[in-house]
Amino acid sequence: MPHSFSLPPLEIIEHTLPNGLRVVLNPDSAIPVVSVAVYYNVGSRNEREDRTGFAHLFEHMMFQGSANVPKAGHFQYIMKAGGTMNGTTSSERTNYYETLPADQLPLALWLESDRMRSLAVTQENLDNQRDAVKEEKRLRYDNQPYGQIFDLINEMIYKNFANSHSTIGSMDHLDAASVEDCQEFFRIYYAPNNAVVVLSGSFDVDEALKLVETYFGDIPSQPLPPELDVTEPEEVAATYREWQDPLAPFPAFLIGWKIPKRRTPEFNALYLAGKILYDGDSSRLYQKLVKGDESVIQLFGFTDERRGPSSIFIGAIPKPDEDLSKIREAIMNEIKDLATHGPTAAEMEKIENQFVNATVRTRQSSMSRAQWIAEYALYDGDPKLIHTELETMLSVTAEDIRLAVAHYLNTENRSLLDIVPASQTQI
Amino acid sequence: MIDSNNMQGFNVLSSQFSALSSPPNPLAPVGFEIPQPFQTTLDNGLHVVVFEDERLPLVSFRLAFFTGDIHDPSDSHGLTSAMATQLTEGTENYTSLQLAEKVERLGANISAHASYDFVTVSASSLSLYANEMLDLMAEVALRPTFPEEELDLYRRNTVEHLKFQRSQPPFLAAEQAARHIYGTHPYARVSPTAADIEKLTRENLARHHRRAVVPNNAILIAVGDVKKEELVSKLNDEFQGWEQGSLPPSDFDALPVRTGRTLTIVDRKGSAQSNIVIANSGIKRLDPDYFAVLVMNQVLGAGASSRVFMNIREDKGYTYGAYTRVDAKRLAGDFEATAEVRNEVTGASLKEFFYELNRIRVERVSDEEIADAKSFLTGVFPIRAETQEGLTNLLVNQQLYGLPDDYLQQYRANVDAVTAEQIQEAARKHIRPDEVAIVIVGDADEIIEQVKEYADTVEVFDTDGRQNPER
Repeated sequence: MPHSFSLPPLEIIEHTLPNGLRVVLNPDSAIPVVSVAVYYNVGSRNEREDRTGFAHLFEHMMFQGSANVPKAGHFQYIMKAGGTMNGTTSSERTNYYETLPADQLPLALWLESDRMRSLAVTQENLDNQRDAVKEEKRLRYDNQPYGQIFDLINEMIYKNFANSHSTIGSMDHLDAASVEDCQEFFRIYYAPNNAVVVLSGSFDVDEALKLVETYFGDIPSQPLPPELDVTEPEEVAATYREWQDPLAPFPAFLIGWKIPKRRTPEFNALYLAGKILYDGDSSRLYQKLVKGDESVIQLFGFTDERRGPSSIFIGAIPKPDEDLSKIREAIMNEIKDLATHGPTAAEMEKIENQFVNATVRTRQSSMSRAQWIAEYALYDGDPKLIHTELETMLSVTAEDIRLAVAHYLNTENRSLLDIVPASQTQI
Repeated sequence: MIDSNNMQGFNVLSSQFSALSSPPNPLAPVGFEIPQPFQTTLDNGLHVVVFEDERLPLVSFRLAFFTGDIHDPSDSHGLTSAMATQLTEGTENYTSLQLAEKVERLGANISAHASYDFVTVSASSLSLYANEMLDLMAEVALRPTFPEEELDLYRRNTVEHLKFQRSQPPFLAAEQAARHIYGTHPYARVSPTAADIEKLTRENLARHHRRAVVPNNAILIAVGDVKKEELVSKLNDEFQGWEQGSLPPSDFDALPVRTGRTLTIVDRKGSAQSNIVIANSGIKRLDPDYFAVLVMNQVLGAGASSRVFMNIREDKGYTYGAYTRVDAKRLAGDFEATAEVRNEVTGASLKEFFYELNRIRVERVSDEEIADAKSFLTGVFPIRAETQEGLTNLLVNQQLYGLPDDYLQQYRANVDAVTAEQIQEAARKHIRPDEVAIVIVGDADEIIEQVKEYADTVEVFDTDGRQNPER
């Protein structure tokens, strides 16, 4: 096993409305629910230098009502119909999604189209949601130990402002935003030709397409947003920074590397290298640092997948009194070993099986299918990539991984953020 | 703008517009029935539940025991959790590393953990590896060796984790709220202490394991691409010779009787927010009021369209989220209202919370709100059953809490049957604003003047859990 593992293909139907809205249908009647995902091609990467946090602020604004939906009505309608919903913002996109009993598909389309057509961008809503965003920032970033470290390291990794600034953004910028700024942002980025709508679940294809046309067909398209430059030099912006964290109980560190964009052979190889290094109890660094040396309380790592230059992180919260530089040396030694000898056959078997398992599990829910398909549709213009993703990943060889680790991770070209408990330094 | 000459056009537009101006009607309803799973009991007393689902080549297994943290001996808190966690850290045939490598090479997962009421071993994989996973599940459940070096590592890591969690406001709030609500009942113990952890021994873990991990104290649930006959036959082989034992006790101290409203501030200097918890004791899982409480809580605060969220977040903008929660455990439970708010509106948030807690007790809830709450609860039910993990969780809870065999089939009917009178009755009975414990984790200097008027007594603790007698 596996090297090859075939899954029945998902049924995928693509359609573009005259106004440029791309629609993808994935009918699957196993459970009588339907998920709708609307992905707008706008994320923090699109923000102006003096208007950071806008993409995320908009995610909040999108729940504040539109021509026919009262303020906060979106939650209400979805919940009273027995659905779940949310919206999220990343560097790459802003997404909105809901899962409902299958017979409520018209409601989901009505709600999504009404706000795409006629969002209520008013002073009152803007003021109210600025406050909500500030509260979210306090909760998720300012009041959490280590809450700001990922934003900080992105500033160290990326040189291009589009990539380096945080999604939560600057509260000063939000305060400076006018209603006109917001209306302009909405007009440019929330146009039907800048979005993808995906339906996954239990529905009749013809009926669903007719409903999509009824609800979204009359929303006018707009000139496409300005071209975006997310290119980066290969070197990181800064190699070292110390951060005083008043809430951190222990010192910690985070290492970040700049790596090629998603879906490149190098990115895929590094994604799998990450699994070998830090994912699960049998991973190399867990066995070395948590089990072997017993020097670390918590070890973590992940890849940040972007359409432009992306990144990979490894972080640790060492035990008190441990020598942090020794732990980093141990991490770099494992990376060097992987760069020299490559993964073992057992490690290859493991990551292949894990990838197959994760892929099959992700297919269970209509919402995760819709989200996956939406990413391929929006980022790559091809939702059917979902059919070949498994095969692509299974074709990555041990040598591909070795070479990618040697080039991108086993290097001084990386960013190190040292987190120092501020209360400790005061004493 | 409208004149008689273009009335025709206007009418066309207006009829189109009105089609979009109000929420559309649903399509024809689609039925959803969960079949009842197959159930049997093996000769050794192990109860087995099998739900065959061939949709995707996956399986999920749970082996659960009716022993939980509440069964820790009074002189050894944390023993059950340690025992559960250590099941996967070394067995007669595998070291911890070998086991992790074996499981992960299959791309599978196996884990064990304890909650207040239960110990659960969970395993999932591609169905291709179902037999290997059952072998491993039996291995970790029946043949753990609790190696000294693994326990040593667990002790040291857990002690560090206990320190770390004291930096987390939700933990600090939960610790104080549980102390007030549960008193000397073991549900009051949110976490063991470092001293508890340091005195754990292999012998104690092994003895506790022998006591808890017996087939007549367990159920096994399998969901996915399996055949029940093959599975039962495999289980008979796998768990052959597993001997029965006695069942854990369920008689514990009664919850304290509260007569006033207390305020506990956990002083977290420099806190950017106040974490508020308002709590009183609630219902146990099999309480006959369960469905009335469920619907009532949905109206009051379970979700983003519930009253407290609409008031405190959407109307007042004090917080990112404000909710109420019903935690119905096996033997007792609690009701909690929670929010993280900015320092200067801590008192104002308490005011709004108490307004809502009182309102649902004194005013009959409108038919519209009830209908909305019910349609949410019945509508999300199939969504929860969409994934194998979700369906497994529903079946596990049904079995562990001893819910009726047709519980999942009758769930939506039970929700729909709740009346306005039952909701109000449930609110009066299970929300008691005059005897709640208010716990706030935040900067005491910033908030104490705003909040002290809301309680009969005020106490201040530091983040290490020590009371500050000067305040």
